[in-house]
Amino acid sequence: MNLDFFKLVKREIKIMLKNFSIIYSFSTFFVVASLIFVFSVNDISYVKVFYKSIVWIVLIFSIMLVSENFLNEDFNDGSLKELQFLGFSEESIMVSKSIAMWIMIMIPMLFLMPLVFIFFQITLYELKGLVINLFLATPSLTLISILSSLFSVQLKRNKIIQFVIILPFFIPMIIFTTSTGTLFESHNLKENQFLILIGIFFITLPVCLIAGRLIMREINK
Amino acid sequence: MIFSLANPLRFQRLIEKIEPITLNIAIILLLIGLFFCFFGSPPDYLQGETVRIMYIHVPCAWFSLMIYSIIALCSIFSIVFKHTLADLISRSCAPIGACFTLATLLSGSIWGKPTWGTWWVWDARLTSELVLLVIYLGLIIINNAYEDKSKADRYSSILAIIGIINLPIIKWSVDWWSTLHQPASISKFSSPSIDSSMLLPLFIMTFSFLFFFISILLVRVRGEIIQRKIEVIRFNRMVS
Repeated sequence: MNLDFFKLVKREIKIMLKNFSIIYSFSTFFVVASLIFVFSVNDISYVKVFYKSIVWIVLIFSIMLVSENFLNEDFNDGSLKELQFLGFSEESIMVSKSIAMWIMIMIPMLFLMPLVFIFFQITLYELKGLVINLFLATPSLTLISILSSLFSVQLKRNKIIQFVIILPFFIPMIIFTTSTGTLFESHNLKENQFLILIGIFFITLPVCLIAGRLIMREINK
Repeated sequence: MIFSLANPLRFQRLIEKIEPITLNIAIILLLIGLFFCFFGSPPDYLQGETVRIMYIHVPCAWFSLMIYSIIALCSIFSIVFKHTLADLISRSCAPIGACFTLATLLSGSIWGKPTWGTWWVWDARLTSELVLLVIYLGLIIINNAYEDKSKADRYSSILAIIGIINLPIIKWSVDWWSTLHQPASISKFSSPSIDSSMLLPLFIMTFSFLFFFISILLVRVRGEIIQRKIEVIRFNRMVS
């Protein structure tokens, strides 16, 4: 990995910090959507049972909403093409965007954790499990959502299509994250079982990079 | 051979010759297969008459996977060789595959109620088959979403290649996880755990479905070729 790659990551993080409204809208959407679930049931004990699923569903939707801003702007102002002309490979563009997006998601998520703790009335131990889960599963999530926004960057009705195309690929992730979370809570999880989330990441990474490369080349034709 | 057929016009002429033959074979095999299904095979000692759903369910399930494999192969071919015919075949296969997958899920559900006592369970085999249906729907949506058909073909090829991950999951889900769905009765590496009186109608139905799939595919590919010809004529008129 050369120095240029780190410059690229730095550029993405700088853009992200300049567009602070993205972080703000992500956090607000996450809080409001979680609150809707809390208000939709009278008994908080029901919410407490499903808190992991709620957090993951809300997280997926909020990431999908944010990911569009990352690529659409770059595509519309031509900087995506420019980066390729400068000699950055499609893979490095995609990885740098994913890293920036992951930082953008994880930092607000860490600040929002006390709210999750209060809203869903979970224990500190359950919160710990949730944070580990989020930390290990969100890299794959960001890669998939970047890929989905690449698919829909040239479409007008892109949001709906983006959701339909990519949601099936989130299903295995949801299954494994919630099941490891449940095992963790019941104290039945061996530490190495969290490794399955890292395993999913190592499957997602090459698949997303190869597909991302092909799509980016197609976009710039 | 494959590259000589890359010319859509040549392929269209071939379709016109093959299509009626395959459709006729499909109908004849279907009639023979249905006779064997209803009168030539015994009811199961445990499941009774409901076992006859198998003659529809199992071939549909096989074809749902086989058609996706064809789409994936055509997609790789399309990306590597920029083969127009591969795009046409993969585009035409998606709705047929979706129908076979839907038929698998519906027939499985009808079979599940008397055998398992429920229409649906969230076990690995059923869930992964449902995911396959959603991937098929995604492919159909992508194929129709872009005005530029070559772009749509390219994007759907990429999505189809990503979706290959789901195929081994469907195939070996019954071995990897403890599921309500039974493991495979017919395997390439061992003798089938199914009686020959049931195996014969199953194979006849499978071949009937195969010829039916080929004839529908040929009709759809011909339709696609004609549609593209119309688009070229329209474009030429607009230019002139």
